[in-house]
Amino acid sequence: MRREQESLMKVPANNLYYAAAAFFFMLDPAAAAFVGAIVAMVLFFPLSSDPLRHIPRSRFHLWPLESIERRLLRVLSPFLNPVTWVVLVFALWRKVSLGLGALAIGVFLLAFVASDWIPQGKGRAWRAMPRWPGQLGELVRKDLRGLVRTLDFYCALLVGGAAAAYRLAGLLPADAHLPGTLLAMLAISTCAQTPFGLDGRAGMTRYRLLPLRGWQILLAKDIAYLLVCVLLTVALDPLAGLAAGFISLAAARKPAVQERRAQLRWRLQAGTAFGGAIAQIILLMAAASSTHLVSRLFLIPCALGWAISLWWGGRELDR
Amino acid sequence: MHDREPVTRIVPSPDPEPDVRLSAAARPYCDNKSVISCQNLTRRFGNFTAVDGLTLTVDRGAICACLGPNGAGKSTTVKMLTGLLAPTSGTATVCGCNPASQSSELRQRIGVLPEDLGLFDDLSVEEHLQLTADVYGLTRTVARTRIGQLIAALRLEPAQRTFAGQCSHGTRKKTSLAMALLPNPQALFLDEPFEAIDPVTSKAMRDILVAAAARGVTVFLTSHILPVAQEIATQFVIIREGRMVWQARAAELTTPLEQIYFDLAERPDHGDLDWLGMA
Repeated sequence: MRREQESLMKVPANNLYYAAAAFFFMLDPAAAAFVGAIVAMVLFFPLSSDPLRHIPRSRFHLWPLESIERRLLRVLSPFLNPVTWVVLVFALWRKVSLGLGALAIGVFLLAFVASDWIPQGKGRAWRAMPRWPGQLGELVRKDLRGLVRTLDFYCALLVGGAAAAYRLAGLLPADAHLPGTLLAMLAISTCAQTPFGLDGRAGMTRYRLLPLRGWQILLAKDIAYLLVCVLLTVALDPLAGLAAGFISLAAARKPAVQERRAQLRWRLQAGTAFGGAIAQIILLMAAASSTHLVSRLFLIPCALGWAISLWWGGRELDR
Repeated sequence: MHDREPVTRIVPSPDPEPDVRLSAAARPYCDNKSVISCQNLTRRFGNFTAVDGLTLTVDRGAICACLGPNGAGKSTTVKMLTGLLAPTSGTATVCGCNPASQSSELRQRIGVLPEDLGLFDDLSVEEHLQLTADVYGLTRTVARTRIGQLIAALRLEPAQRTFAGQCSHGTRKKTSLAMALLPNPQALFLDEPFEAIDPVTSKAMRDILVAAAARGVTVFLTSHILPVAQEIATQFVIIREGRMVWQARAAELTTPLEQIYFDLAERPDHGDLDWLGMA
């Protein structure tokens, strides 16, 4: 339960939270609720909602529990997750209708049951990542796997995936491209602040042992991030998404190399300083909007800014 | 017995001149006779001195076993010699490079099995080796051959497609060792390579290290398994509380290494846990 609590406490350091809070205080509760709904849906993602999944199966079976106690723990485990209690309190406070409540409980139970069916550590789609060419190919593959194991990616995928479905059905209006791109980029942008968060202490040791320069290590991480940005916005405006990706990385470079904060897989990533996150959000929105509304040439200064940040960050890492 | 004064006996050994030169060294090779040397190497963490004035020389083709109790400073020494940790004072030269200031050149010349193994949870065993091959610029043919040989020699076949995060500690250690060996380094730094390794692989590793040393690769390893250290090492160093208390060449050993260790490093001194086995 403490682990889940720590995870929940990290949510406020995520850029999506800042966006929801900004919408709320700008008296646009519908937009705040929409962002909040994206976060809530992903927090109840099967791999995230069940605390028992985080206990190795072998250890769980070694616990001196009777069969009935194991089943009881299984049934009660969702209530070990503070998110469950937050949602329940919110539902009571907002006097959610019986039908909506029943639907939410149904979705939750479905996710919970599905969570129990999915085998631990086997056959996950995120493993099937292609090998990339070049000296940094394996590092790019590793960083892509890391990105798709964050809940930030799935928040962004909800937006990007829904846009792709609407676009395929011919129902996506042109004026939805920019807001969709902005929302998807906002959802994934915290990951740009924490590129080393999932590598752990051992990963940092390996980086220091490999005969690579700092900029090469960062380049592998940036390629993975930018590929994800393009993928998420392919049905919206991929060039605006790429511009936002460049600027997200550039704006977050300082905390990325100087304040390496450990992160958990299958959790929302926790960013660094509040001021830096706000600056990152404003800059990425400006970059995407300029590229979408004014000229595609805005991609060039964005790429240039990213290249300068890559050089600076590499030098810092080499130190 | 537990005198803090260092007891140092250095006896020259026969010149370990290799009979076979390394084949893959397209990189400039360090031809110095002494591959690892350090003078008064010291590392402090606040008020705690982890390594205190270590002075040491390891010749090319030698296998130096660094022994000592837990927390004696062995891993800190390895970290300083491999450029992972800057010394507080003192100097070191490894393969002709200063680890503190020439770490990028040094990384091209050494292979390291670090204390935390340095593996990425999101890469499989095979992908770790491919990563090493790519980064060190091995050709596809050479990489494929060496990776296949290392996987077979270290018995990694059953786990080669398993992610490092899901491997046993022994498999992770073997993967890290394979990564250290793959680029054919001039010197190997191995932090407790034989711990948690099955006996057959342990024997294979010993054979590999002895053969590599005969071809001129210098090996610096730490271990708690004294019989293994005595079997393969040509030089021994015992560290206690950060200070080197003894060093000698293998030819100099007249008493079992274990006896020397118990005399100089730490003596087994435990009470009877008389509650064990009581109903």
